[in-house]
Amino acid sequence: MTARASTLDLFAAVGYATATARRALATAAAAAAAYCLLVLTAFPGYTAQLLGADATYLGEALVALSANTAATAGVVGIALVVLYALVTGVAVVVAVGQFRFAGGTAAASGSVSGVLPGLVASGCASCGAGLLGALGFAGALAALPFHGNLLRVAGLAVLVWFLARAGDPSTCRV
Amino acid sequence: MTRLDETTRRGVLAAGGILAVTGVTAVGVAEFSDDDGHGGTAPASVQASTATTSLGLDLAGLPVMGSMDAPVDLYYYTDYQCPFCGRFESDALPELLANEVSDGDVRLVFVSYPYIGPASRTAAIVDRCVWRQVRGEDPAVWWDWHATLFDEQGQPNSGWASREKLFGFAERVDGVDATAVEECVAANEDEVADAVAADVEQAGEFGVSATPSFVVANRQTERAGRIVGAQPYARFQDAFDRIRDA
Repeated sequence: MTARASTLDLFAAVGYATATARRALATAAAAAAAYCLLVLTAFPGYTAQLLGADATYLGEALVALSANTAATAGVVGIALVVLYALVTGVAVVVAVGQFRFAGGTAAASGSVSGVLPGLVASGCASCGAGLLGALGFAGALAALPFHGNLLRVAGLAVLVWFLARAGDPSTCRV
Repeated sequence: MTRLDETTRRGVLAAGGILAVTGVTAVGVAEFSDDDGHGGTAPASVQASTATTSLGLDLAGLPVMGSMDAPVDLYYYTDYQCPFCGRFESDALPELLANEVSDGDVRLVFVSYPYIGPASRTAAIVDRCVWRQVRGEDPAVWWDWHATLFDEQGQPNSGWASREKLFGFAERVDGVDATAVEECVAANEDEVADAVAADVEQAGEFGVSATPSFVVANRQTERAGRIVGAQPYARFQDAFDRIRDA
């Protein structure tokens, strides 16, 4: 597949995810959910304690951890998280479309699996938390270049690659 | 707060450093997170002590705020490079100092937990040397130093906490003899670093793995719990209530 074809398929995927009001809403909802997940997993111990105590602390946790991500990884870091969430929203809707139109369970699950690197990269680089922290690798992200931003970019690239392969699931690509 | 992980000193020791969680109660700790609390003077007395706490934390070398007779201990594990610690310093800490600590209900112990980068270790060492220099005659000066660092905090590992910058901050704080601090670091760096490392190792036994983290301990019953992250003030209040009843 040529670069031009990949780019066209990427735009086709984004176009599919926003073509109708229903899909656009689903994309936005998935993106919002992805953002919450990415930010809240930046410091899982904190999130678990706070939300375990009272779910109404969700807003407090989102604001605090968003601010912490920005303070740790800079504007670029928080922008990458937002972008990652948006692309994840598109990927989820495209994956559902693949499942509906082609019945391609493997292809659909492949699209969604692109989300995983971003989840890992979303960890609180400076505070040693994040999913790596939850897995016992506290501080691992702090040792990564640019507080994990390179990992975030890598995760984003993987996700975009999956979308460029997927294209518009409602069209026949054979 | 719906859950408070607790443990006793014996529980911690028996578990070889692994905190036993017992449902509502592991060392732990609890679940519990905003104002600008850094003023010119400490809102509660800063004191030095050579005692050991009910959970075995050696207070020698650590700044303590509040009454030595307070029924509850709050160990505050912090890294000067941690932005989330900065949030706690400006949000919940001022209320804690103005209420529970000033009222003699809670004794607050500041413990360095440097792990974000080399500058974290340097800051912790310089901090200990500042404390050594001021604790004898005017321990309250330490608060001005501590507040200055958080006021000057930059992005982690960006160079804002280099050795030279830290000595520069020390020069700006009235009451701190920056030259004496530099001499302390030069003469005692390894020894001070070992003391900091010992605190970090013990923190691990308490289940601390990130900053800011807190251990809330009932000094009489040795029951304790852990609070993770810069949680609101109300969560600390809940933790104190629970640990008093534990």
